[in-house]
Formats: sequence, C-alpha cells, structure tokens
Amino acid sequence: MTENQAAARSKRISHAIMLIILIVMFFAFIFPFLMVIINVFKTKADITSDPLSILGAHGFTLKNFPEAMKKMNFWRSFGNSAIITISSTILTIIFSAMTAFVIVRNKWKACTLLFSLMVASMVIPFQVLMIPLVSLYGGTLGILNHRATLIFMHTGFSLAMATFMFHGAIHTNVPVDLEEAADIDGCSRWQTYWLIVFPLLKPTIATVAIIDAMAFWNDYLLPSLVLGRKELYTIPIATQVFYGTYSTDIGLIMAALLLAILPILLLYVFLQRYIVEGVTAGAVKS
Amino acid sequence: MKKCSALILALLMALSLAACGGGGDGGAASDAAQDSGGGSVKITIFNSKSEIQSQFEEMAAEYSKATGVGVEVYFSSDTVAAHMATRYASNDPYTLAMVDAKDVYSLGAEHAIDMSGEDWVANTQYAVSVGDQVMGFPVCVEARGVMYNADAIEAITGTPFVPSDYATLDAFKGLLETLVAGGMEAPVGIMKEDWSLAGHFLAETYEEQPDVFAYVDGLYAGTSTVADNEKFNSLMDFFDVMKQYNYAAASPIAAEREVSEQKLAEGEIAFMFGGNWDWSMINAYDYSEHLGMMPVPQNLDDGDNQKLVGGGSKFFFIDSSEYTSDEQRQAAKDFLNWLVFNEDGNKFLTEDCALVPAFSNIAAENLDPLGASVKAYADAGNLIDNYNYLPDDHYSMMGAEMQKYLAGQEDRAALAAAIEQYWASTTPVAR
Amino acid sequence: MKKNTLSYKCQQYAMFAGVSTAAFVAVVILPFVYGLYLTFTSWDGVSKNKPFVGLSNYTATFSDTAFWQALGRTVIYSAISVILVNVVAFALAYLVTRGVKGQNFFRAGFFIPNLIGGIVLGYVWKFVFNRAFVALGTSFSIGALSTSWLATTGGAMLCLIIVSVWQYAGYMMLIYVAGFMSVPKDLIEAAQIDGCTPNQTMFHVTVPLMTSSFVQCLFLTITRCFMVYDVNLSLTKGEPFNTSVMAAMHVYNQAFTYKKYGVGQAEALILFIVCAVVGVTQVYIGKKAEVAA
Repeated sequence: MTENQAAARSKRISHAIMLIILIVMFFAFIFPFLMVIINVFKTKADITSDPLSILGAHGFTLKNFPEAMKKMNFWRSFGNSAIITISSTILTIIFSAMTAFVIVRNKWKACTLLFSLMVASMVIPFQVLMIPLVSLYGGTLGILNHRATLIFMHTGFSLAMATFMFHGAIHTNVPVDLEEAADIDGCSRWQTYWLIVFPLLKPTIATVAIIDAMAFWNDYLLPSLVLGRKELYTIPIATQVFYGTYSTDIGLIMAALLLAILPILLLYVFLQRYIVEGVTAGAVKS
Repeated sequence: MKKCSALILALLMALSLAACGGGGDGGAASDAAQDSGGGSVKITIFNSKSEIQSQFEEMAAEYSKATGVGVEVYFSSDTVAAHMATRYASNDPYTLAMVDAKDVYSLGAEHAIDMSGEDWVANTQYAVSVGDQVMGFPVCVEARGVMYNADAIEAITGTPFVPSDYATLDAFKGLLETLVAGGMEAPVGIMKEDWSLAGHFLAETYEEQPDVFAYVDGLYAGTSTVADNEKFNSLMDFFDVMKQYNYAAASPIAAEREVSEQKLAEGEIAFMFGGNWDWSMINAYDYSEHLGMMPVPQNLDDGDNQKLVGGGSKFFFIDSSEYTSDEQRQAAKDFLNWLVFNEDGNKFLTEDCALVPAFSNIAAENLDPLGASVKAYADAGNLIDNYNYLPDDHYSMMGAEMQKYLAGQEDRAALAAAIEQYWASTTPVAR
Repeated sequence: MKKNTLSYKCQQYAMFAGVSTAAFVAVVILPFVYGLYLTFTSWDGVSKNKPFVGLSNYTATFSDTAFWQALGRTVIYSAISVILVNVVAFALAYLVTRGVKGQNFFRAGFFIPNLIGGIVLGYVWKFVFNRAFVALGTSFSIGALSTSWLATTGGAMLCLIIVSVWQYAGYMMLIYVAGFMSVPKDLIEAAQIDGCTPNQTMFHVTVPLMTSSFVQCLFLTITRCFMVYDVNLSLTKGEPFNTSVMAAMHVYNQAFTYKKYGVGQAEALILFIVCAVVGVTQVYIGKKAEVAA
C-alpha cells in the first residue's frame, strides 16, 4: 500500500513537472499569435510605434477587419478556397489510398517504379516545375483559369506524399490475413479494399485530410499561377496586395491571417479528436 | 449482404466524386460564360504599384460604368519579371501592363505595340522608346533625393528651413550638428533595403557622372574606376555623414522601413534618403505639415547638388500578341488617352493616386508635399535622368555590398573594389 | 481469373492506380521533363525564342559561386533544423502521451503553427523578431534582445531555424504520437516486469519500435528544409548582405529576377539531386534499421 502511495505520488510529481514544461512550451508556440491578437486591433501607426501595448494611442479599432475583408473580397475568396480545398482533399485521399493499396500488396515492376518516382518527386522544388507547368497547361492546352484545373493539379502534386503515408499505414496497420479471409469469402479485390482496408485507414485518412487541407487552403504559388482571374482568387492570392517588395501592411496581414485560419482550425479541432480515437482503436486491435 | 454494402459504398464514392467534379466544372462553366457574355470589350490591367491598387479598382468600376468597357485591375506581389513570365507562358498576357522602364526595354520588342501615333506622345518627355517606336506610356514622375521634415528642423533652429542653404555637405553637416545640440539625438534615418541602397543611392553615383553611358561602358570594360572617382567619393562622403547621424547606427541593418518612415513623419528624425513614393508610407502616420525633398548635399561644385534624380516612372505598354484582340488594344489606347485628356482621368492620377503627372497638359494642384517638391524640380528642369539599363542582379548584389558598408563590415576601398569587380564580370545590358 | 496473368495485373493496376498515375504523370513528370529540356536552352523566361545552347547552363552553374554558397548554407540550416525539429517533436510527443491533464489541448496547441501558410507566417515572425522582441528587450533591458537578430548573419540563420522548428515540430509531434500509441502496451509492461528502468524501456523497446515514425519524420523535415522558400522570402529576403539566401531562393532569383531561366532550372535540378540523394539515403538506412529491429 505504501509502495502504491509512493508510486502514485512520484507519478503526480512527474506529471506536475511535465505539465509545467508543456505550459512553457505552449506559451512559446502561441507567442506569435498573442502578438497578432494584441496588434490586430490597433491602427498602423500604433502597431509601428508600440508593438507590445495592448491598447494603442489611437484607441481600440476593428477597422483592420472590414478593410482586409473588402480588399481581399473575403466571401468570394472564401468560397473559392473552400470548393478547391474540399474537392482536392477528397480526391487526394481516395486515389492515394487506392494507389498505396495496390503498391503495398503487389510487388509488380510498375508499382515499384511508380512508388520510387513518387518518393523522388517529393524532393522536386516547385520552382522547377512552375514555368513548364504553366507552358503546358496554359500555352499548349489552354485550360488555366478553371477551378477544376487547380483541383486536378493539387491532387496530382499531393498524391505522392499521401500515397507515401497510406503506404506506411497499410504496411503496418492492415493485417494481410483479414484480406485473405475476405478473399476466401468471395470478395473481389475491389470489395476487399473498400470493405476491409479503407475503413481501417481512418486515422491516416484523418491525418492526410488535415495535412492536405491545410496545404491546399494556404497554398499561394500554384493557385497564383493557375487562377489568373479575379473571380477565381483564393484567400492567399487575395491577400497578396497586403505585402510586396516595398511595403507590408502588417495590420491587414494579421487580420487576414485570423480570418483565414478559423475554418481550418475548426476542421482540425474536429479531426484531432478523430485522429486520437482512430489511432487508439488501431493500437488496441493489433 | 457484403456485395450489397460494397455496391452502396462504391455508389457513394462515385456520387461524391461527381459532386466535386461538378463543383469544379460548374465554376469553370460560369467563368466561360462571363468571358463571352455581354459582347462588350473587356481589358485587363496589371498594376505594379501596390499603394494605388484600391484607388485603381474603384476607378476601374467607374470607368466601366461610364464607358461600357470592362476593366479589371490585377496586382502581384511577385517581382514584375517573374509575374510577366508566367502570364506569357500561359498565353494569357495583360492587355495593358504597368512595368518599370527596364522591363519595357527587355519585353517591348517582342510583346508591345508601337504607340508613336498617339496624341499624348507630344505632351510628354518621359515616354520610353524602343528603337524608334514609342512603347512605354509614363504613369508618373518620381524622383530621389533627401526627404526632410521642416517642422522638426525649425522647432530646433527657430528659423525657417530653406533647403538650398544646405546644398553643400559642409553646411548640411553643420545643420545636423545644430540639431544634435538642440536635442535631436540622431537626426537621420537610412533605409537598409537593397533596392534603396543600391538601386536608388548607389545608382546616383553612375547617373551623376558627366556621361553616364560612357562611364558604365567603362565599368563593363574595366576602364572606368570607382575608387578614385570624384562623384562616387562625393556621394559616399554624404553617405558617411548620414551613417554617422543614423538613429539606428548601433544596428543599422535592423532598421525597419516602417519605423524609419514613422520617425520622419512625426519629426523624431529630420532627414532620410528616399523618393516621393515614400509618401504612401508616411501618410499612414501622424505626419507633420511641412515635409519635402531636397537634392543630396555635396561639396562637389558641379550643380548636381541643385537637382533631384528621376524622371518618368512606371510605364504602361499594350500587348501585341494574338491573345489580345484589336478591339482590346483600341480600348487600352482609349484608356490611356482618358488618363491624359479627360478631367476624371487627370483627377484619378493626381488626386486619387497623388502621382506627379508626366504630361505637360495635366495640372496638379493638390499633390502631397514630396510630390510637390518633385514637381517643382521637374518643372524647373532640375531632374537628372534615371539610368534604366542596370543589370537585373545589380540591386541585389550591390545592395549586399552597400549593406556591408553601412554595417561597418567593409571600408570604402573594399566597396569600390567590389563594384568594379561586379561590373567587370557582368554581361553588358544591351541598350 | 488467374492472378499472375498480365491482363489481371493491368486490370488491377488500372483500377486502383490508374487515375493516380495519370494525374501524377501529367502534373509532375511531364513538366519535369520539359523543364529538363529547358536547361539546355538560353531562354530568358519571357521570350518566344528558346535557343538551344547545350551544356552551357551547367558550366555556368558550376562557376556560380553564389549558388554553391547558398547550397552549403542550406545544408547547414537543414542539418540543424532537422535535428532540432525532431528532438522537440519527439519530446513533445512523449509529454502528450503520458496521460497529463489536458494533453489533447496541448496536442492541438502545438499543431496550430501548421495551420498558417508560409508567406504570411514569415511576415508575422519578422514582426515578432524585429519589433516585439526588440520592444521587449528595450523595455526590460535584455541585451540579447535589444537589437534585431535578423540584422546579423548568424542571427538571421538562427531566426530561420527557430521558425522552422516552430512550424514543423507540431506536425512531426503528431507522427511521433501515432508512433508512441502504436507500441503495444503489453510489450512495455513486459519490459518493466523484466526490470527495465523507464530509460531502458524507452531506448531499447519503444524507440526501436518507432523506427518507421523516425524515418517518416526525418524524410519530411529533410525535404522541407532543403526546399525552404516561402519563409526565407518573407522573413529574411536573403538579408543581411545576401547571407541568408537559401538554395531555392537563389534558384528563383536566378530564373526570374535575373532572367537566366536556363541556369536557374539547371541549378534547381542540382538542388533536386542533392535533396534526393540525402532523402533516399536516409530512408534506406532507416528501412535497414527497421528490419534489424
């Protein structure tokens, strides 16, 4: 009993220490956001003259928000970003998981080749591809300035990474005997995949979803090349007028940042619980 | 049972796929409809001056309403060259693009139309010609020099500030001493940005040469020298004085442009090298009333200390490719004429955007203080021309050297040697 | 249907990977090959002419000292960042899987930096380094903070590393969390019953079982650090004295700002090769370790 008490006590102490470390780290991680929140309600003059004061000399102001929203045509950009992010994320998940499945389960030359190419492609700097990409799709095919083109490209670019992640997940988390059992029950590979394998990938799906959704939501370079029409602008392209070679309007940048981060934050909070659940469930099963 | 659920699942997948696909296509279709809709002409304008983007957009809406010509204004935070490159690669050029003079020279022959026949050509001395064709429409006049805050100076000296009294470096230095003695600890700000140090300041050491073209050719050939050049040393003497009184002297590379501009606007410092475009930053702060621009003080007695350096700045050119229709080109020409000959167009340039007009027929009464200074010098013929043929990497490479000099990591001899070495190893820019 | 016939293989491949292969080839491979061709031309990026010049862009690359300096700098920056990101991420993952109160909240908090895009993030950090830290330093007279770190060569590099750690640690933490949770509890209990100290359990049981997490995290951080561009552009822009120009930024400037498109493309290719060699070697070693464990 005393041993148990001592153990419980040392556990409590170590938890307290860990909690303190976590709180300190958390503060360090959140510091830039504190700066954003403090300064976004100040005028440009006050931000420049005293970045730490809670209230500027010109008083509390909300005007960074409506100004940023107006300049970036917020709701239109928001809609575009949402359509593009959601579509690209779903397509990426569906196709990369399927690809990973066929690659993991078959040692065919085509699979190995595709997988090696995909892994290699993850280290291609995007600057290498941008002009050829624009020349081919704009110059030769003439299909830029469509959301569908961007969705297609987003999907194409993110497939490699997502396949890589599903590859690992299928490799470690999907028992081959489960699939064999399904095969014996008369399922085709297609059915086995959708009925047995895909549901087991939930944690990875959640992870890929949040990571790709973030990447798509925040991407600047590719959309700026593909979407050359104002009515198609996504949030990151619409905010570019706030910064440039010669000046940056930090108040507007901060307001835009807060406006753009909210939906993706909600998605994360929702999926985060799911990721934890999924990972735990997977661990218990194996 | 299993087959059934598999079917349902597959169906769901297909449906969601179709839904997303539909979302994308729907967007595309409606865009296409907008493109062809109406039958009226629509032109696109690329604006590379971020500070006038919102004015530009408001003007475009009104212009469209008044004339029936659709105008859309675009801006990019990428460098002009990179942005134009992507637009050309995608066969989607702007009808009208606002670029720097050097871009007109490099792009004009292939991508711009000749505007020699336009009426406005007679009203400006700042248009850019490639060969014997007028290709660049000057958007405004901009000039470089020393910005001053007269209120801050007068508060200490007690006498009206007359810039021409301080045309020599000795007099200027005396004034700085007075200011320091009067309580302004560090009366000067220096922008550490490479485009300011090398693109604007160092460039003056070429531009103020008796024959800039011969001098630069000599730099390429290795026959012009920098270290013992009179003009270079004269301007660098001024730079040394600025360095000495710099409010950020302890860490000059840490000076933020926003902070320096605010200090100048509110009179915490009195002088900074810059140009009238700086007004777009100053006006965000509680600026005092009497600001202006004066020539760089120099002891050298060649008259350059009576002049600002500058001229036409930012140029419109009209796309010549097959992706722009003749109607669009005509609409673009009409728009340029509207800017020059229409009252509303004039008002847009000089009042809404506070630009110093590049056309003799446009009156400008309500310019900002810096613009007013520039106009005064321009009208008196006291502008030294821009040299528009600097190599593309000049501002970056030489900006780094100037930063080293500013930070005290390099002396003047080393800086001069680096400049000579840079030019000698660079492929000459055609002109 | 026989499973080893060519038609079965083709059908299976097309069914599962057909769309992916098509999209991947169309978006990545084709432009890459076309880009490769452009390295043999002296195109300026905007002209209609793309004169063929053979290998001269590669000769130019080899004599471009600024590029090799940038590449060397990138290697140093990547090495330090990769180590720090993974150390911090692993430590955080450890702390948030011990059952401390509110660990889900912390997991979410550490991940938040990932939710913002690179360019905006750079501007916010620039504001923090240049203004907020300096204001803190002046008002509390902390010498180390009173001038901006971004103004010195070493300081700018340090800032880039700090931002990278801040940006990626939360993401890598998630992968390590998944790794920690995939280690079977009974194995750890068994080790403890066998008399292992917590440290021994950690390094002899848990860590080896997490090899695949390490491989994944290292690969991701290495590739991201080697290709850093957005944050480089908005945080330091290469300043001071062009001593914080990383390889990708140099490539971009070369191709677009200095209009030497072919040279830029050739340099990008070299960056790609360096990056691929490092990445693949790392995965190879990792896989070997995984098999051994």
